[in-house]
Amino acid sequence: MKFKQHILDNGLSIIGEVNKAAQSATVGFFVKTGSRDENRDINGVSHFLEHMLFKGTKRLSALAVNEAFDRTGAKFNAFTGEENTVYWAAVLPEYLSEVIKLWTELMRPALRKEDFDIEKNVIKEEIAMYQDLPHYDVTERCKALHFQGHPCGMSVTGTNESITNLKIEQMRDYFNRRYAPNNMVLACAGNFEWEQLCSLGRAGCSQWQKQDSGRSLESYSGSKEKKRDEKANLVREHICLFSPAVSAQDERRFAAMLMATIIGDDVGSRFFWEIVDKALAETATMQLEAMDGIGVFYSYIRCSPENDGKVTEAIEKIFEDINVKGITEEELQKAKNKILSLLTIRNELPMGRLIDLGINWLYLGKYRTVEEEIDSIKAVTVNNIEELIRQLKPGDFTRFSIGPPQNSKHID
Amino acid sequence: MSEKLDKHILGNGMVILGEPMEAVRSVAFGFMLPSGAARLPDGCGGAGNVISDWIFRGAGKRDKRELVEALDGLGLHRSSGVGSSYIMIGAALEADNLEPALELYADIILKPRLEKEQFELSRELAIQALLGLDDDPRGKVGLKLREQFYPQPLGKNPFGNENELNKLTAEKAGQIINHSFKPGQMIFSVAGKYDFDRVYRQLENLFGDNTRNGLQEVTPGQKGEQYVHEQHDGAQVHIGVMTATVPVSNKDYYDARTAVSVLSGGMSARLFTEVREKRGLCYAIGAQYHSLKEMAGIGCYAGTTPEKAQETLDVVLREFNRLTEGISKEEIETAKVKLKSTLIMESESSSSRAGGIASDYYLLGRVRLLSEIKEKIEERTVDSVLNFLKNNSFRDFTIVTIGPRDIKVRDKI
Repeated sequence: MKFKQHILDNGLSIIGEVNKAAQSATVGFFVKTGSRDENRDINGVSHFLEHMLFKGTKRLSALAVNEAFDRTGAKFNAFTGEENTVYWAAVLPEYLSEVIKLWTELMRPALRKEDFDIEKNVIKEEIAMYQDLPHYDVTERCKALHFQGHPCGMSVTGTNESITNLKIEQMRDYFNRRYAPNNMVLACAGNFEWEQLCSLGRAGCSQWQKQDSGRSLESYSGSKEKKRDEKANLVREHICLFSPAVSAQDERRFAAMLMATIIGDDVGSRFFWEIVDKALAETATMQLEAMDGIGVFYSYIRCSPENDGKVTEAIEKIFEDINVKGITEEELQKAKNKILSLLTIRNELPMGRLIDLGINWLYLGKYRTVEEEIDSIKAVTVNNIEELIRQLKPGDFTRFSIGPPQNSKHID
Repeated sequence: MSEKLDKHILGNGMVILGEPMEAVRSVAFGFMLPSGAARLPDGCGGAGNVISDWIFRGAGKRDKRELVEALDGLGLHRSSGVGSSYIMIGAALEADNLEPALELYADIILKPRLEKEQFELSRELAIQALLGLDDDPRGKVGLKLREQFYPQPLGKNPFGNENELNKLTAEKAGQIINHSFKPGQMIFSVAGKYDFDRVYRQLENLFGDNTRNGLQEVTPGQKGEQYVHEQHDGAQVHIGVMTATVPVSNKDYYDARTAVSVLSGGMSARLFTEVREKRGLCYAIGAQYHSLKEMAGIGCYAGTTPEKAQETLDVVLREFNRLTEGISKEEIETAKVKLKSTLIMESESSSSRAGGIASDYYLLGRVRLLSEIKEKIEERTVDSVLNFLKNNSFRDFTIVTIGPRDIKVRDKI
C-alpha cells in the first residue's frame, strides 16, 4: 500500500492509498460539515443538502446523474452525520475516472427550487421512517438531552417543522459557506492511478473558492438528566445512555474504544454477561463516538418493560464494579483481539480503507497506516483504561428511554 | 461463484467447500445445519433461534463462560442466522486462528452441553427477539411477506410465535439438534486465506463419523392470503409486495435477475425514478430477487406516510407490469454492468464468499465460477429479457402492509 497526498492552492486535500492487489477502487468526497454546524432555523440542512447534490448541476438533471452513475455499475451513496458529510462510490477500476469526474462536477450543484420542493417530501418520509425505528428515535432524543444547548445535540435529519420552513436560499447560503475546498477532502483507496486522480482533481476543483468555514468547538459536560417518554405503539423498552468520552484527536481514544468493548461488546462483555446472557434484555451494547474536540460513549439496551428495573440495577452494578475494581488483563487482551481482527477484516475492503483514510485526514490532518492503528491498540494497558474510567466516570450518564404506557399490558 | 474452488466430500457426505482469496489475511467460514424454519417439526416455530443461542452456552469440556472466552480470545466475529432450510453459523477472523476456531465449532455443533437452565435463558431471549419485531415494522413486513408468499412451511417466520415458544421444552429442542446436526447433512464453506488440505483433514478428524443420513425434502402446502394488513399506529405504512419468478436453478434465471435490475438495480432504475425521484412518495423503495431451492420471488419494500400509501402501491404495481411493455437497450446494458460489478465487488469480502459458495452448492448442487456468471449476464439481450417476461408475466402479487391504515387491493391484481 502506498500513500500519496497533494493539496491544491485553494486548500482542497487530495489523498490516496494505492493497493494494486485490489479488484476495485473507492472514491469519496469528505466534507467537514454536519448538523453540528447548523442552528435551529436551518436544522437538517446538511442532510437535505446531501440529497440535493444528487439532483444535478446546471448541465445535468437528476435523472442524468443517476444514469451516469448506473452506467458505471458503481455502488454509490452518501451519508451525513453530526460532523461530516461523505459522498462515496465503489467501482471497478476501468470506470473510476468517470466516477471521479462525476463526483467532482456534483460538488458544485445547481440547487434548483423545483428539485428542492420535491425532495422535501422525501426528507419528510425519511424523518417519518426514523420515527418508526425506536433505536434511532431514542438515540436522537438521548443525544439532545445529553448535549442540551450544545450544537452536537442537534438532530441530523432535522424536524418536520424545520424542514417545512427551510428555504432554498438558506440552503444555498449554507452550501457556499461549508462546501469550500479548504473544508473538503477528495480521497481514493484501492486499485487506481494516483496521477490520474490528481489531474482529475485539479481539473475539476481548482477553480473553487476558499472560504472561512471554521467550526466553533465548545466543550460540554453532559446533562446527566434521566427522562422517559411513552409511545402507545411500542411494546418494548428502549433505553439509551450517553456519557462524555475522548475526542477523535485524543491519544486516549484507543483506550476508550477498548473500554467500550470491555463494557458493551455484543458478546463476552460486561453487558453481555450481566444483562444479555441472563436474558434480562435481548440487546445491550456500548460504543465510542470520538468526535471533533469532544466525544461520547453511547449505549443501547432493549428489554421488556417488566425488566426495566432489573436492567437498570444491573447497569448501575456494572459501572460501580468497573469503578471500584477496574478491569482485568484477560478482558483487555480479548478486547484487543476482537478489535484487531475487525480492523484486519474491514481494511481488506477498499470501502473500509476509504472511510478510515478520509476520517483520519479530517480529524488529524494526517495519514495513519493500518499498522500504526494496530500498534496504538496493542500499546494500551490496564492502567490506561482504569485511569480513563476515573477521569470520565462512564457511570454518570444521561439516560433517555421510550416504551409503552406504563399501566398497559402487551396483548397478543 | 468463484475463480478457483476447493471441494472435498467426506465419506459420510459432509460437503467441504473453499474459495482461496489472494491478498487477504482473514478467513471466514460457515456451517449450514439443516434445521431452518421450514424443516422444524410442527409446533416448534422459533426453535431455530433458541437452538442457535443454546449451543453456545457450553460445549465439550468448556462451560459457557470458558467457551465465549475461548472464542473471544481468538478475536473471532460470530455470525448466525436462521433461514428457511438451514441454520447458518460461522465466523470471520484472522487466518492464523482458523484451526483452534474450527475445533471450538466442532464442539459447539457436535457436543453442545444443552443444560436445561441455559435452555430457559435461550428461550426467553428468543421470545424477547420475537416481541421486539413489533417495534420494527419494516423488518416485520419482510418476514410476513415471505410467510404469505411461499407455500407453508417454506416461508415460515424464523422468529416463530409466542405460543409455540412458550410450549417448547429442552427435551424437544434437544431432539431437534440430535436429529439434524448430523455431519452428513452439513455444508461447510471457507473463504479467504487457508490451506485446504489442512482444513479438510482437520474436519475429517472432527466431523468424520460413519453415519449417512439423507435429508428429507420439505413438501410445500398452502399459500397464504393475497393481502394482509396489520394495524400499527406508527408514522408510516410499511408496504411489502412479492410476486413469483424462476429460481436460481432455472435456465431463465439470468433473464429474471436482469429484469429485477432494470426495475431496481440502481438509482436510475424504474422504481427509484418513478416512486421517489418523480413523485417524492418514499424515502425507502426497492425490489430484490429472493430464491429458495424450490421457488423464488421478487420482493419489494416501500415505506410511506399513510396518505401516500395507496398511490405508492399503485405506482409500484404499474412499474412491475410496465416491464413487459418494453425495455430499452440502454436499460439492459446498465442492468448488466450493475450485476457484474456487484458480483466482482462482493468477491472481495471473505464472509460474503463463504456464504455465497455454500448457498450455490445448496441451491444448485454445484458452485458457479465467476467467469460462468459473467458470461451468462453478458448473453442477456432486450429480446431475451422481454421473451422471458412474456412467458412469465407477473400475475399474482402477495401484499402485506403494517401501519396506521390499510390500502385497497383489487381482487385480482
